[in-house]
Amino acid sequence: MTTLPATVKSTSKVKFKLNNFILEIILIGIFILLSFIARGFLSTGNMLNILRNASLEGIIAFGMTLVIISGEIDLSVGSAVAFYGCLAAILTRDLTAMGYPILPVVLFAIGLTLVFGVLSGTFTGWIRSKFGVPTFITTLALMSGFRGGAYLLTNSFPVTSFPEWFYFFGSGYVFGVIPFQAVVFLVMFGVMYFVSKYTTFGRAVYAIGGNAESARLSGINVKRSRMKVMALTSTFAALSGLIVASQIQSGNPTVGINWELNAISACIIGGVSLAGGKGRIWGTFVGCIFLQILLNGMTLLNIDEYWQYVARAVLILGAVLIYQAQESKK
Amino acid sequence: MDNFQLEVRNLTKVYPGTVALKDFSAVFNGGKVYALLGKNGSGKSTLVKCISGAIQPTGGSMFINGKPLQPRSPIDTFNQGIAIVYQELSLIRDLSVAENILLGRYFKKGPNNRIIDWEKTKQKAAEILKSLNIDIPVTQTVRSLSVGQQQMIEIAKAMSFNPSVLILDEPTSALAQHEIDSLFNVVRNLKAHGVIVIFITHKLHEIQAISDFVTVVRDGHFIGTITIAEATPQNIVAMMFGEVRQLTRPNDLKISKEVVLEVKTLSRKHKFENINFKLYQGEILGIAGMLGSGRSELLRAIFGADSFDSGEIIINQQSFSRSDIIKMKKMGLAMTPENRKEEGLVQTLSIRENLILASLDSISSHGYLNHRMENPYIDQQITNLQIKAPDIERPVSSLSGGNQQKVVIGNWLNAHPRVIFFDEPSRGIDVQAKQQIFQIMWELSQAGLSSIFVSTELEELLEVCHRILIMKKGRIEQEIIPENVDLSELYSLCMEA
Repeated sequence: MTTLPATVKSTSKVKFKLNNFILEIILIGIFILLSFIARGFLSTGNMLNILRNASLEGIIAFGMTLVIISGEIDLSVGSAVAFYGCLAAILTRDLTAMGYPILPVVLFAIGLTLVFGVLSGTFTGWIRSKFGVPTFITTLALMSGFRGGAYLLTNSFPVTSFPEWFYFFGSGYVFGVIPFQAVVFLVMFGVMYFVSKYTTFGRAVYAIGGNAESARLSGINVKRSRMKVMALTSTFAALSGLIVASQIQSGNPTVGINWELNAISACIIGGVSLAGGKGRIWGTFVGCIFLQILLNGMTLLNIDEYWQYVARAVLILGAVLIYQAQESKK
Repeated sequence: MDNFQLEVRNLTKVYPGTVALKDFSAVFNGGKVYALLGKNGSGKSTLVKCISGAIQPTGGSMFINGKPLQPRSPIDTFNQGIAIVYQELSLIRDLSVAENILLGRYFKKGPNNRIIDWEKTKQKAAEILKSLNIDIPVTQTVRSLSVGQQQMIEIAKAMSFNPSVLILDEPTSALAQHEIDSLFNVVRNLKAHGVIVIFITHKLHEIQAISDFVTVVRDGHFIGTITIAEATPQNIVAMMFGEVRQLTRPNDLKISKEVVLEVKTLSRKHKFENINFKLYQGEILGIAGMLGSGRSELLRAIFGADSFDSGEIIINQQSFSRSDIIKMKKMGLAMTPENRKEEGLVQTLSIRENLILASLDSISSHGYLNHRMENPYIDQQITNLQIKAPDIERPVSSLSGGNQQKVVIGNWLNAHPRVIFFDEPSRGIDVQAKQQIFQIMWELSQAGLSSIFVSTELEELLEVCHRILIMKKGRIEQEIIPENVDLSELYSLCMEA
C-alpha cells in the first residue's frame, strides 16, 4: 500500500514527458514513413543534405529563439543576410584593388562584417531601451534599409571577388563528407543550447520575456540583456550572410528574401511562444529539421514544389494547435 | 424617488476556506450618502461585487423597492439601476469623452439605423455632463484629461444609465483636493435627485464632509449603521476592529547602534517630500499610512525602482544622490514589491527559477550556472521559509499566495541583503501564512538584518515593528513606538487630515 503513491507518481511523470514531445513523435513517424516510401531518403548523403539545408536559416532561428523568448522580434535578419554578404564582397573587391594581399583582406572583411552584425543588433536593442521603440518597428525599418543598402553597395549586380578557398565555408566538406554548413549548424545548436540553459544571460532572457518588470525589480540588467540578445541574432545573420556569399561565390543583394519569416516559423513550430518567456532551443532545432525533412521528402517523392508552401502552412498551424491544446490541458 | 430603497437581507458569500460575507443585512435609503467602512478583507468589496452581479452570493437576497434583485452580470445590474465606479478606471483612453460615456450605446441614423449619429451622441453626452456640473468638452480625448477628470467621466458614464444606486469604490485615492471638491459637488447633486450613494473610503474627513450615515463591515458581518453625528473616530475604530487581540513580537530582538541606512531630505514631486529617517541594524521599521500617502513610492525610490528629485540616501557611509536597482542590490538592499504577481515573480518560470532571479550573478561562476550550483540556494530557502512546493520545477503560479510571497522573499534572501523592504507582504494571504511571514521578519532581525515594513493593516505594524513612522500626504508626520500606542490611536493618527 505504501508503494502505491510512488508508482502513481512515476507513471504520471512519464505521461507528462510524452505529452511534451508530441512534435518529436510525429517527426519520427514521418521519418519512418519517408524511409519506406521515398527512395534514397535514408542514405547518409541525404541525411547530411537535410542538415545542410536546415543550416543557413537555422543558425538565424537559434538567435531568433532567444529574441522571441525575450519578448522581442527581429525582422531585419533576411535582408541583413544579403547586406552582409554584399558588404564582405565589396570590401574584398575594393581592398584587393587597392593592392592589399588577398588573405588578410578576406579575413578583415569577415571580421568587419561580424562587427557590423554586433553593432546593428546593439543599436536595435539600444533604441528599444532608450526610446521605447518596439523592435518590430526598428527591425522593420532595418529590413528595408539593409535590402536597399545591399542593392546600393553592389549596383544590383552580384559581386564576385572572393578567392577560391573562401568557397569552403559554403560548399566545403569536413572529412570529405560532412558539409561545413552542417557542422556550423550543429555547433551553433550546441552553443545556443548551452547559452539558453546554463548561463545567467540565458536565464535573464527568459525572465525578461516572462515579466520584464519583475526581472528589473530583481536587479537584472534588462536594458543590457535586450541589447545583447538583439546583437546575438544580428551577428548570426551576418555569419549566415557570409556562408551564403561563400556558397554562391558572390555578394548578391537578392538572397535571404523571407528568411526572417522562415526563422520565425521554425521557432513557432518548435513551440516558442510569441508572447515571450517560453520556448526551447531544442524545439527550434526540431522545428528546423522537421521542415527540412518534410521538404526533402516531398522533393524525393516528386511532389510539385508549390505544395511545399502548403506543407509549411499546415506544419505551422498544426504545431501551434497542438501546443494550444497542451496548454489548455494544463 | 425619496422613498427609494435598496435592501440586502442575510447575504452570504462563501469561498473555499473562508466566509467573506456572513448573514449581512442592511438597508440603504434614497437621497442619502452612506460611507461604507471596514478594514481590508472585511468583506466590503465582496458586498459590492454581490450587488453588482460580478459574483453570485452563496445565500441571501437583495431587494430594490421591495422587488427582488438577482443580478447575473454587471450589465444586468446597470439595467436595474445600479451603477458602480471602481477604483481602477475602465475608460478607453484614446476615445473621446462622448464616446466613452455612451460606449456601445451611440445614437444611430440613416437607413436601418446603421450609421452613428455623432451630433446627437455628443449632444447627449454634453447634457449628461452639464447635469452633473462637469465642465469638460465632450470631444476631448480621455488621455488628455487628469486622473480626477477621468474619474468624473467614469461617474458620468455610470450616470448615463440613470441609476438609482451609485457605488463609489475609493474614488478619491487618486484625486487632488479641488477634484475631490468637485466630485463631492456631484455627489451632493445626485443626493438631491434621490439617488442612493454608497461611498467606500478610508479617509475620515471625507466621511465627515459628505456622508449622512456610516455603515461598518467587520469580518463579513454587518456591524451597524450610525449617523454622521455619532461617527467620532473612536466610535468608528471601535466598530471596525472590535476587541483586538494584540500580538507582540518576541522580546529578544536586539537593535544595534549601527545605522545601516539613512535617508536625508528625500523628495519626489507629488509623491513624497522631505523624508528623513535612520534605520538601525536589526531593526524592523514600520511605515504606516493610508492608500496614497506615498509609502510605496518612497520605498521604490530608495530602492531605485523609481527616481527621486532631490535628497540623498546613505548606506555604509556611502552617499547616493541617484538610485538604481543594480547599484542598490550591490549595496545590500532588497525589496519585495507590493504586487507580488505582477512585479515580484515571473509567472511563466518555475519555482526554482524564481528563487534565484535576484542572485544569478552571485550563484554563477563567470556567467555559467547549473542545477547543482543552484540547489543549495533553492534548498536553503525551501527549508528555512517552509515553502510548501511539491515540485520545484513546476510553475510558480501553481503555489498559493502565501507560498508565492515566500518565494519572493527567498529570491531576495539568496542575494544576501542587509536591508529588506517589505511592501504589503501580507496582502491576499491567509492568517497562518501571515504569521509565518512575520516570523521570518523576526528571524531576519535576529540574524542582524534590518527591514522596512509597509502595510495598510495597522495592527500588523503594531505587532511586528520596533518603531513606526506615520506618513500622510507624502510626509512623515510622526514617529511612534508600538508599546505606547494602541490600534485605535494609531488608526486615528493615520486617518486624521
